[in-house]
Amino acid sequence: MVMKKGDAFEAQELPEEVQATLPEVYVDDLLVSIKYFVDEEESHLWIKDDAVCARCQHKPCLYFCPVHVYTLGSDGKIQIAYQACVECGTCRVGCPYENIGWKLPRGGFGVAYKFG
Amino acid sequence: MNDNEKIRFDAIVVGAGLAGSAAAMVMARTGLNVALIERGRKPGGKNYFGGAIYTHAIREVLPDFMERRPPFERPVTEAGFWFLSSDGGLTKMVTQGGKLAGDPADAHTTLRATFDLWWAEQAQKEGAFLIPKTTVADFIRAEDGRVIGVLTDRPAAAGPKPQAGGEIYAPVVIICEGVNNLLTQKLGLISHDLEPAYQALAFKQVLSLPMETINARFGLPDAQHGVAASVLGDISLGLPGMGFIYTNKTTVSVGLGVMLETLVEYRLKPYEVLQRYLQHPAIAPLVEGGQLLEYGGHLIPEGGWREMPKLYTGGAMVAGDAAAMVNALHWEGTNMAIIAGKVAGETAIVAHQRGDFSEQTLARYEEQLRQGFILQDLKQYRNFSKFLDTHPQFMDVYPAFLNDALGDFFSAYGKPKRQLFKEIYGALTGRRPLFKAVGDIISMGRAVLGW
Repeated sequence: MVMKKGDAFEAQELPEEVQATLPEVYVDDLLVSIKYFVDEEESHLWIKDDAVCARCQHKPCLYFCPVHVYTLGSDGKIQIAYQACVECGTCRVGCPYENIGWKLPRGGFGVAYKFG
Repeated sequence: MNDNEKIRFDAIVVGAGLAGSAAAMVMARTGLNVALIERGRKPGGKNYFGGAIYTHAIREVLPDFMERRPPFERPVTEAGFWFLSSDGGLTKMVTQGGKLAGDPADAHTTLRATFDLWWAEQAQKEGAFLIPKTTVADFIRAEDGRVIGVLTDRPAAAGPKPQAGGEIYAPVVIICEGVNNLLTQKLGLISHDLEPAYQALAFKQVLSLPMETINARFGLPDAQHGVAASVLGDISLGLPGMGFIYTNKTTVSVGLGVMLETLVEYRLKPYEVLQRYLQHPAIAPLVEGGQLLEYGGHLIPEGGWREMPKLYTGGAMVAGDAAAMVNALHWEGTNMAIIAGKVAGETAIVAHQRGDFSEQTLARYEEQLRQGFILQDLKQYRNFSKFLDTHPQFMDVYPAFLNDALGDFFSAYGKPKRQLFKEIYGALTGRRPLFKAVGDIISMGRAVLGW
């Protein structure tokens, strides 16, 4: 099994009784524990083509990012809070359409783990 | 640019992590002029793991490491598997003391921000020149394609043009860029990103608790004893994934790794899965009252042997996560990174002695790795990365069965034992037919033994 890409991507559903056991988490409570040096001038993440996101049915990026960088704007476009990114790379390989542009932040910027 | 104005080193290492600083250490020790480039403000800031560090690997690079006071948390004196069931049960298969009681112990729980900083300092003590806050964007290639330097985003200190300071030259570059191996791809050593089926996202919380509380909750006599456990079962929602828990001095590291493919397809929110794990009736009392010091996440390249890039080309070698050097089942990766960094560094030394940095000379790197545990283990476990994907019953059916079976075994229900054993047997075969269970054990054996 290798994840299907593009329009062939198939989302799976957890059994309802398992889904119900997942607690709601307020991500900001977690983010305050992470230290960052935010690059105020440029984002190291970008959407390559908004039209592709519009076509994407399941939008897994709204879920899989461990720091919830991706949200859906009121205009229907994907919004990127790159400031919270921990540079893990999940979105780079996880987007079924490979539609997320990803590069390393400029030297000295981005996440700075205190414990790791 | 005038040739004399070029910034030149004997070797460049990209990334001051476990592999990079090891490579820099061995090269600088022989007098080579080494640039150790790190994109973080200081080494360790981008690095993340469970986790524990193995002393066998450190000793190979730094025999007197204990005198240099490594920032270990606790020696791992208890290690094993914990199996959680959805009804709150916990079955442990752990080992204590014995082979784990060495001095120093083979494994120590560790936090990477402090450890990697110390590790890079040892490279600096050998003479390596650390260049922090610098991201490498590309390579500088000779006409024949050989790597002869790197292009960084570092502005020149005094130069009129920013890019003038960005070029750093060396006849050999060791790439230790980590799991997001964009440079390795740029060199053509691998043609594509590692598929989501071959990567796990690990995420964890570091929770602060008083030392005495940790000792009491984990049954440890003092802070010179520590626990490392792989946690299976209910926590991964029946999907391919594995949890972990490590005791540090005054913190515990609790988290889990879930295959990226699973995370994406099921649209799981990592922080919800982690919170559910922390709330499990067997885990919650261990972490209760713990103050969150840090949350984070990192990818683990679990593709193994089949998904490794080519390890060398003219003027360059790749080591560590960038080369997918991880043995997922045994939680090994840090030791492979250190040893591979060392071997790459030694190969660069040989290349300097010969004055030849061609692909043929650097092939020694892979030849040496083939003689050691890294490539032998990765080859043996080449089928394991697929195994959990195709055998999800190891994630839910068997952990639940173990809890039920042992729960029954150690309960006095006032009924004949023959009937009890029948029920236990039925609890297994009801979940998984016997022939399939036997088949599972055989396929696990094959995946581990590499048949």
